[in-house]
Amino acid sequence: MSLSLILQAALAGITNGFTYALVGIGIAAIFKGTRIINVMQGEFCVTGAMVTVLLLNNAHWPYWAAILGGVLSGVVVGMLINVLFVRYMMRKGATQQTFILLTIGLAITMSAAVLFFIGRSGYVLPPFGGEDATVILGAVVQSHAVWLILIALGITAGLKLFYHRTTIGIAMMGASIDADGATTIGINVPRMNMLTFALGGGLGAIAGILVTPLVSVDYAIGVNLTLKGFAAAILGGLTNPLGAVVGGLTLGLIESLAIVAVSSSYKDVIAMTILIAIMIFMPNGMLGRGGRRGG
Amino acid sequence: MSRINWPLAVSVAAVIAGTFAVAGTVCAQPKEPIKIGAVLSITGPAAGLGIPERNGAQAAVKSINARGGVNGRPIMLIIEDDTTNPDTAVTKTNGLIFNQDVAAIIGGSNFAASVAMGGITDKQKVPQFAFTGLGPAIEKTRHCVFHMFTPHYLNARTLFEYSRSINAKKVAVLHDSGYGAVVVRELAGIMKDYPDIQVGTIEKFDITATDVTTQAAKIKAGNPDAIFVFAVNAVPFRAIRALQMTQPIIALNGASSYETVSAMGSAADNVIIPEFLVAEDPLPRQKDFINYFVKEIGAKPKNPESVAWDAIHVIAAALTKAGTETRREKLCEAIRGPYAGVTTDYDFSAEDMTGIKLSGYIFSKLVKGQYTRLPFVIK
Repeated sequence: MSLSLILQAALAGITNGFTYALVGIGIAAIFKGTRIINVMQGEFCVTGAMVTVLLLNNAHWPYWAAILGGVLSGVVVGMLINVLFVRYMMRKGATQQTFILLTIGLAITMSAAVLFFIGRSGYVLPPFGGEDATVILGAVVQSHAVWLILIALGITAGLKLFYHRTTIGIAMMGASIDADGATTIGINVPRMNMLTFALGGGLGAIAGILVTPLVSVDYAIGVNLTLKGFAAAILGGLTNPLGAVVGGLTLGLIESLAIVAVSSSYKDVIAMTILIAIMIFMPNGMLGRGGRRGG
Repeated sequence: MSRINWPLAVSVAAVIAGTFAVAGTVCAQPKEPIKIGAVLSITGPAAGLGIPERNGAQAAVKSINARGGVNGRPIMLIIEDDTTNPDTAVTKTNGLIFNQDVAAIIGGSNFAASVAMGGITDKQKVPQFAFTGLGPAIEKTRHCVFHMFTPHYLNARTLFEYSRSINAKKVAVLHDSGYGAVVVRELAGIMKDYPDIQVGTIEKFDITATDVTTQAAKIKAGNPDAIFVFAVNAVPFRAIRALQMTQPIIALNGASSYETVSAMGSAADNVIIPEFLVAEDPLPRQKDFINYFVKEIGAKPKNPESVAWDAIHVIAAALTKAGTETRREKLCEAIRGPYAGVTTDYDFSAEDMTGIKLSGYIFSKLVKGQYTRLPFVIK
């Protein structure tokens, strides 16, 4: 086992980890603001990526404008999900389990809609920084992977500031922790919930746009992204976006190093065993306690 | 002169005229269509196969009906979507056999569906054309289940044959946990026939994986002359090229679709695929089909479209030969035998219910995202 192989595995693990984290951040954000576990986060990724592809390839928009359009589409879809479904179900006193079923159903519907309207083809987006790659001690690092990591870190830092330093962010947290209390002090809870879903949709769209140059996007990829993002979010502590980063990195690195150290055939067994052990000893996630404190 | 009984004469004339009128009406009625069922994965993960298979079958039916049908009887294609679920495939198959009384069934789009459907169709002796190669051992006992694709061991052999032709002494394998894992199990039996080719690193990835860079890195560390990829999506191809590996990638024909090539992006270069149809440079026997398909469907066909086209035409040919009322075991018997298809030459009496030979393959090569046909042929 050479140094370049170990380094390549570590880099792949870090890149994958941030991919999972980007999806997990969206799941954590929606949970933080509404206490709803959003199983359709991966479909927000697909929506953002597909709209960007269509605006770039079919409408011939400049890349930066297509990206903005893609992010906006995620925001709008998130808001619509909240207004059309979640708000009504909240008024009816739906339980958390019911919301999980709702988001599962919406995920299947959105995937089918993409297949129907766009087709079964996979699409790629141009990587940030072009096709350039850097070779470090025999390991190849693509420019786009570096951009993905930097943007993910920026989003994490931005969310931390948003929830702690902005009125809206604090109001969104308050609305999720105690809706009645928040209403009492004048917070418009339904609007905060809508903004939470808009935020989650936007974050999902950003994740999809960043991931697509690396893996390509099609109608079926949403559920896979959701599963990995969910694992990252749970591992890190569901209420903490930073936890999703820690969880994602942990998952990505464990997977990669398991492949190199043992065998690709046992990657999932090893990764899941270690994750189960972590959850047994840290049932609230690795940063979960911080989340309960409002972090 | 005897008197003519005019009332009687008019009555007789009316009866005669009425008889001709009724006969004329009966003759003018269109003949009853021949029903052929299709159980395909139009939705779900296997939609990438099911949709082109549906398109190929529909084009075939349209073509046959435009030429007057089978002995004057049009074909009616009844399409059912199994949603990539074998349980649904069984339910749909039962419906087609017992409610619709179809003459034959095409499908499934994947192994699980084909094998599940075969339990019904073979028992009822309804000819089934599976869009998969021969799978588990039980399929060898199902003599009414015919296969439109080659068995795994034949697919795997083509990769070794091509590797030998380019003097690749050491190959590595990157395979998915689905179809790829099944083919890998055949490798051990095949490798002994190719002692000049060493199989080095074998790496596996989950069929739903979005990244396989680490597995590709292990492949790279082994420094192979060529890389076998057993997968149906673009992920492993992108991973290999992202690590700046320039060795030829030799892939199974499950990856050969315009959609997958599109998803490969810049990785769709120096990829060789043993398959059966290259629309950009077709064999003479394939030109009419390709021209018709492009004109009617507006897109170039690949292997799933052409095998579906062939399946419908095989059924039509058998019914033409044996009679359009022929059903069940007699129709199965009529099908068993050689058939020169658009895709390749079949022999449905062969043990693998396909009869495709190694020489029936053609080899395509992706050059900067475009299919080209290589002159290499396995003798």
